[in-house]
Amino acid sequence: MANRRAFMRSGAMALFATGLGGVPSFITATAGEKKIIPPYKKAKTLVCIFQRGAMDGLMAVTPYSDPNLKLLRPGLYMSPAQTEGKLFDLDGKFGLHPSLGSLSPYFTEGRMAVVHGVGSPNKTRSHFDAQDYMESGTPNSKSTASGWLNRAVGLTGHDATPFSAVSLTAALPRSLQGDHDALAINNLEEFVIQMRGNPLAGNMAANSFEQLYDQTSNQLLKQSGKESFEAMKMLDLKLVKNYTPVSGAIYPNSPLGKSLKQIAMLVKMNIGMEVAFAESGGWDTHFNQGTTNGSFARNLKDFSDSIAAFWKDMEGYQDDVTVMTMTEFGRTVHQNGTGGTDHGRASCLFVLGNDVQGGKVYHKMGALDKASLEDNRDLPVTTDFRSVFGAVAKKHLNVVDTAKLFPGYEGDMLYL
Amino acid sequence: MRFFLPIFLIGSLAFTVVEFSGEQRLQMPYRKEGLTELEAAEHLLSRLSFGARPGEAKKLLSMGLEKWTMQQLEHSLPDPEIDKRLAGYDALLLSNETIVNTYLNVGQVVRVFQKKGELSKDSMAKLGKDDYKKDIKQLMLKEGLKAPQELNRQLFAQKLIRAAYSENQLQELMTDFWFNHFNVSMTKGQTQSYVLTYERDAIRPNTMGKFETILKATAQHPAMLFYLDNASSGSDNNDMNQRIKKMVPANSKLKKTAGLNENYAREVMELHTLGVDGGYTQSDVTELARALTGWTVRPMMKGGYGAQMSKMQGSKMRGKIATTEGDFMFLAIRHDQGEKTILGKKYPANGGLNEGIEALHQLAVHPSTATFICKKIAIRFVSDTPSAKLVAEMAAVFTKTEGDIKQTMVAMLNSREFWKRQQLRSKVKSPFELVISTIRATNAELRNTAQINEWCSKMGQKIYGYAAPTGFPDKASHWVNTGAVLNRMNFGLAFAAQRIQGVSTNLLALNNNHEPESVDDALQTYSAILMPTGNQKENINRLTAMVRDETLQSKLDKALASTQSTSTIEEDMSGTMGMMDDAMAPKMGKGKANAKKMPAIEMGVSGQVAHVVGIIIGSPEFQRK
Repeated sequence: MANRRAFMRSGAMALFATGLGGVPSFITATAGEKKIIPPYKKAKTLVCIFQRGAMDGLMAVTPYSDPNLKLLRPGLYMSPAQTEGKLFDLDGKFGLHPSLGSLSPYFTEGRMAVVHGVGSPNKTRSHFDAQDYMESGTPNSKSTASGWLNRAVGLTGHDATPFSAVSLTAALPRSLQGDHDALAINNLEEFVIQMRGNPLAGNMAANSFEQLYDQTSNQLLKQSGKESFEAMKMLDLKLVKNYTPVSGAIYPNSPLGKSLKQIAMLVKMNIGMEVAFAESGGWDTHFNQGTTNGSFARNLKDFSDSIAAFWKDMEGYQDDVTVMTMTEFGRTVHQNGTGGTDHGRASCLFVLGNDVQGGKVYHKMGALDKASLEDNRDLPVTTDFRSVFGAVAKKHLNVVDTAKLFPGYEGDMLYL
Repeated sequence: MRFFLPIFLIGSLAFTVVEFSGEQRLQMPYRKEGLTELEAAEHLLSRLSFGARPGEAKKLLSMGLEKWTMQQLEHSLPDPEIDKRLAGYDALLLSNETIVNTYLNVGQVVRVFQKKGELSKDSMAKLGKDDYKKDIKQLMLKEGLKAPQELNRQLFAQKLIRAAYSENQLQELMTDFWFNHFNVSMTKGQTQSYVLTYERDAIRPNTMGKFETILKATAQHPAMLFYLDNASSGSDNNDMNQRIKKMVPANSKLKKTAGLNENYAREVMELHTLGVDGGYTQSDVTELARALTGWTVRPMMKGGYGAQMSKMQGSKMRGKIATTEGDFMFLAIRHDQGEKTILGKKYPANGGLNEGIEALHQLAVHPSTATFICKKIAIRFVSDTPSAKLVAEMAAVFTKTEGDIKQTMVAMLNSREFWKRQQLRSKVKSPFELVISTIRATNAELRNTAQINEWCSKMGQKIYGYAAPTGFPDKASHWVNTGAVLNRMNFGLAFAAQRIQGVSTNLLALNNNHEPESVDDALQTYSAILMPTGNQKENINRLTAMVRDETLQSKLDKALASTQSTSTIEEDMSGTMGMMDDAMAPKMGKGKANAKKMPAIEMGVSGQVAHVVGIIIGSPEFQRK
């Protein structure tokens, strides 16, 4: 414990976290120990999962009671009766896809909420644009340099640590780009200077590099080098290597499962992570999407089982963790000519946490008759994504200034 | 030729030197910015190539900087090294048609054999999984079918090999630049098969020609048509379409309602030509998309609807329904025949294929395009933040020469801004550039590209795999972030210790097999070899202070002596690491000068050299270009 001061951030780093006041002085708690209140202020950890490719919200949480749905997508329609009860009836209107079975208990317990009809006011049906707008948090401006999660880190009102914002991806996602430190790493085990031989050689190489990066005239390299070494020193690789999830938490061996498992490690190491980011792909289901079985069902099961394993693994930490999912838009209400769905407008998202007012589908969805649909084809956006993101950031990250979080947004917040 | 006369007159009057042909002469004003010829040579190698090879700057001096640069701009140097290295790669010259009928994914393979009756739906159940797999493998062999991974392997390999060894370095940089500008990605399934021919046919031959040529080539290539969905964009607003719909049976594909897809139309304006603030509206996007309806890909799959189309070949009907140009197909019956207005210009009804071509021309010559393209070129070659003045100068030449890329490059090299001292080593290498410059700086031998490619991905650059049409951002802040820099350092260490399979380098040979006398000496020597650019004194001083530490020296020896110990962190955790240490060390010591040395000492020396070289490659200075 005597060396903890070595983990403290340097003056240069404090300078970087401009305007936040005070000299940062956090100390890491011993990883693995539970419930040590760290001296730096950390509200909670918000885990965001981006479902890239536009998830069919009408299939994940299906408004089966609307007869229009059966008319418009006869081959994709599911009801509790038709699926012999496999479709989990949430409230007589919506049913949870059977693949979400591992998450349904959390809905029943009131810890998971669904928001339906959610999306962006910008009508683009381009994945790239829509993701960009959702991640920048400014659906009408492309020139916003920072991502909304990066701004959130800066608005928590206290100093950041090198692990404040972590993305389990190779490159930093748009959501986390910006003025505040954010770290992108695909595999925590690679977060070390690797020397074949013994750790001593690695340490020495690390020392050499640290001094070199400290002295370079290129500010960006200097800064990133510094942050990397600080993060590296904080991370106990032995814990990463020997990590065992809580018994019963079985992560799928998929990219999302792996990402969430590493997020769980970081939460338990208690190194100040407030925002974690993971991705899930394969949602662009133009062809043979299937119903209770098929490509969509498989992908959704991976999604569900990964989150369920994570939540189980978070036993003892669940009060401090919130999970929120997001996807750039939804898909057409009608099925297309190839057993799939095309790019649409609104979709749904999930929020999971002990203090979430769950067990409920939040929505303002109307009837799905053609005339009520957007452009006669799509589920209209009745809930702006910013109203959910903003409320979650406010409640779970203590972000007070939501006007700075979502510049230009004047709508209400949807508190869950 | 249109500009011949006026330019000639201006040229003879003004001090700007203009040659008889109307081309600007290359006149690189490095001396005006106080650079020595050697510094200029190093800057050129750093920006117009993937990095200098040992001693290359001096070679430039003896042949003359202008001559070298002109050769690079002409990009027609013989490349026997590339021919030799790529000789075994049999997929590189294949046509799209051969590729899509040869490299099939498992699903496609199964369908082909089910159709032929060689597999049935219950084959898997009957045979069991293992036999089923074996069966499929044999059938594939018999039919000459191959897995798409093999195609991709060759695609990756050729890019790495060309970048590392081609004499026409600028051509490789420009191929990389334009591919990224007109990005397509393997991550989109339909596009995957066409990425190889996209780079080969649409990008590579057009890197230094007219901008409009490369714009049109990309617009009509299957890779782009699929990637940005134009291949599926269509309209029913067409007389013939309506007539045919009445004629064909109910289940015909032609009966399907066609719909507009704006994806390509938007991106071609936003990302390929005008730029996001280039002055177009949503209505221009929709109108351009309408003009491009029916632009699609010639069906090429055997037994697919392409076969049906081919049967119609020669018939009167077919010519009216569709025309093809290579693998591009204009499906006339899916073209919106109505009038359009794009950026204020009216396109009368019934414009057909020509209307889209004209619209691309309109975009290519638009003033916003000149500025947008020139800024992007300047960012790539000059600095992350080029001045508006430089961009304007380049844009003027771009416009004057009708989008001549080579001339635009000459204008850039003739600017003083390119040669300002502050630009030297001001850009940060992308992971791909880091990897290739390392191979070049160490004269490394690249035999198998798989692991090197994996390192690029690990450091954040998945080649041919950037999903968004923006391409990789070309600025340092994208590449340099917490986490990414550690991977760069680890790359340096792994490379120098010969731990990356498929690539090897003889570090002692780089120093004429002279063994450095001390770590201190090794540092001086290898810094000079690997980073001749600029003034490395400071950098060397910093490192020297560290390596002169006597205890460090003994620590280092001790650490390296225990290299063989099996309980290492890294061994267990990195699947990509090789097992070449033992094999390489003696080999490296086999230079004549070292023959009398004891093997154990050789191991120590090469280990030290590798350590020093690893630190140099991973150091911040080596990340710059």
